Amino acid sequence: MSNRYDSRTTIFSPEGRLYQVEYAMEAISHAGTALGILAKDGIVLAAEKKVSSKLLEQETSAEKMYVLSKNIICVVAGIDSDASTLVETARKMALQHFATYDEEIPVEVLVKRICNVMQGYTQFGGLRPYGVSFIFAGWDSSQGFQLYQSNPSGNYTGWLATSVGANTTSAQTLLKQEYKPDSTLEEACDQAMLIMSKTMDSSALTSTKLEFATIKASSDGAEYNVYKPKDIEPLIEKVKSTTQ
Amino acid sequence: MSNPSEINGGSAVAMIGKDCVAIACDLRLGLQSVTVSGDFEKIFQYGGNFVAFTGLATDVQTVSTELRQKHALYEMVEERSMEPNTAAHLVSSMLYSRRFAPWFVGPLVAGINSTTGEPYVCSFDSIGSMDVSHDFVVTGTATNQLYGMAESLYEKDMSPEQLFETISQTLLCAADRDAITGSGGLVYVIEKNGKVTKKLLKSRQD
Amino acid sequence: MDILLGIRTQNEVLLITSRSLARGISVLKSDDVKVLECNKHTALAFSGEPGDTTNFVEFIRANVRLYGFQNKQELTTHAVASYARKELATSLRSRKPYQVNILVAGHNGTPELHWIDYLGTNVTLPYAAHGYASYYVLSTLDRWWTETLTLEEGLELARKCIDELEKRMPIDFKGCNIHVVDQNGVRLHE
Repeated sequence: MSNRYDSRTTIFSPEGRLYQVEYAMEAISHAGTALGILAKDGIVLAAEKKVSSKLLEQETSAEKMYVLSKNIICVVAGIDSDASTLVETARKMALQHFATYDEEIPVEVLVKRICNVMQGYTQFGGLRPYGVSFIFAGWDSSQGFQLYQSNPSGNYTGWLATSVGANTTSAQTLLKQEYKPDSTLEEACDQAMLIMSKTMDSSALTSTKLEFATIKASSDGAEYNVYKPKDIEPLIEKVKSTTQ
Repeated sequence: MSNPSEINGGSAVAMIGKDCVAIACDLRLGLQSVTVSGDFEKIFQYGGNFVAFTGLATDVQTVSTELRQKHALYEMVEERSMEPNTAAHLVSSMLYSRRFAPWFVGPLVAGINSTTGEPYVCSFDSIGSMDVSHDFVVTGTATNQLYGMAESLYEKDMSPEQLFETISQTLLCAADRDAITGSGGLVYVIEKNGKVTKKLLKSRQD
Repeated sequence: MDILLGIRTQNEVLLITSRSLARGISVLKSDDVKVLECNKHTALAFSGEPGDTTNFVEFIRANVRLYGFQNKQELTTHAVASYARKELATSLRSRKPYQVNILVAGHNGTPELHWIDYLGTNVTLPYAAHGYASYYVLSTLDRWWTETLTLEEGLELARKCIDELEKRMPIDFKGCNIHVVDQNGVRLHE
């Protein structure tokens, strides 16, 4: 398992690999599945919440969905505490851009800056990399709706539909089957829910095990909506009725 | 005119009615006697809270954007909307953080508490001393004139319509007696049910 | 004092700046250009303390271009104006503030003109002037400016302003350059 080349984050192995970064990615592959689908009039994000105990307080804030600015939201897979410090950084970056330029930060600009922070921890010694992958969903006036995924190495990529986490392979397969290039946000929501229902570990789909968020066009750009459990129920019902 | 608070000119007033509040400002921005702009709005909306800034225009813009940042961060982190008294304390602490090199602004906060339904108005000096009022608050270069008008026109428990008339007359008549306040006005009436009415007032353009 | 005027017309923004560069009682230059192309669709006109002016606008231009290179998309005129304002406002409370007044003119679909003074006051205006020239031309602009000026009418209005300045200003400002900012970018009008 362990060898000479993974004790420091910044040392390449003879095969040219950075083991610590790969271990960080491994940490993510145990996280609850998260996915994002780009529709023509918006983006949907969905995530599986791993409920460890029935004594866990369910009514507190969303665990995986974060609002980064008026025009950008994201979903997290990996170590939650790592994610929350990055989210805090991202929010401050977005606000700083808004204060300086009086315009919302373009999505890719924010994603790139966050990824540069993450990249720093794969090159400078002494600290471990961030154990998180993000799926960013956002809108800006020059590029429209955009969906990006990042990983601990600091790489990011743009997607039409993507997933991360424990059951990402089956989710990816389903996304490839289900994805339609010109679907509406409503159709994309249904697709997302259907894929979640097929990939989640638990047999019964419930709102306590799901998180859901959308970003769509509005009069002054874009508006986000992070779903409350009661808003998720109708979507679950819809999937149940169509699959039966 | 070496007083930074009186270079650009401008005034604002806020009043409490029955289950409503109103806040109004003039629209002038000048450089001493020369009017540069006639549509410089001094009232900024932060969720359900309305904040007017009078004073040095550059500081009005700096402080209003800083407050926009702090308000946005609050709502993202807390996942709830900010109450007017919270906004007022935030303004206060922002101003006091510059105690020894102040922003030359005179803010007003107006809003309705979403849980109690209580209307709230508050004024500040440039270093953040709060003055929470049960009737009206004024600020700006026409402060004295506004006090005179408000003292004589204000009545308790006015309806939104009455409140709009009262605050409009207060502002317009005060602006008539201050050379560096005027070029039209802007009034917001905020009601308990969440209804917000924005109206522009026309006035002398000199 | 230098002349700095901006007039927004229906499809473009005109920047009118004096051609003289004087120091003390001497005119050093009579073909000075007080306008800088910031990015393809945004121009900065500037006046104030010599040295501060060029240093400040070149700093702004460098950072605007850097943003363009780093982020593969250019800042809008509105964003450039906000950024310049922020730099001036920050500088105002430093040990030695920049004494620079600027006009930001640009075209992002629609023409746009920002007036920013050395304090960092940023306002969007249909027509604007800095310095002593404002005392002479604002009344002319108040009288003749309309929302639907064509380029020719805009140039005619600029002529009116320059005539007034030549008549009333106590110094010879060696004529004016007129820069036009429209959808094709920034150009010097002959």
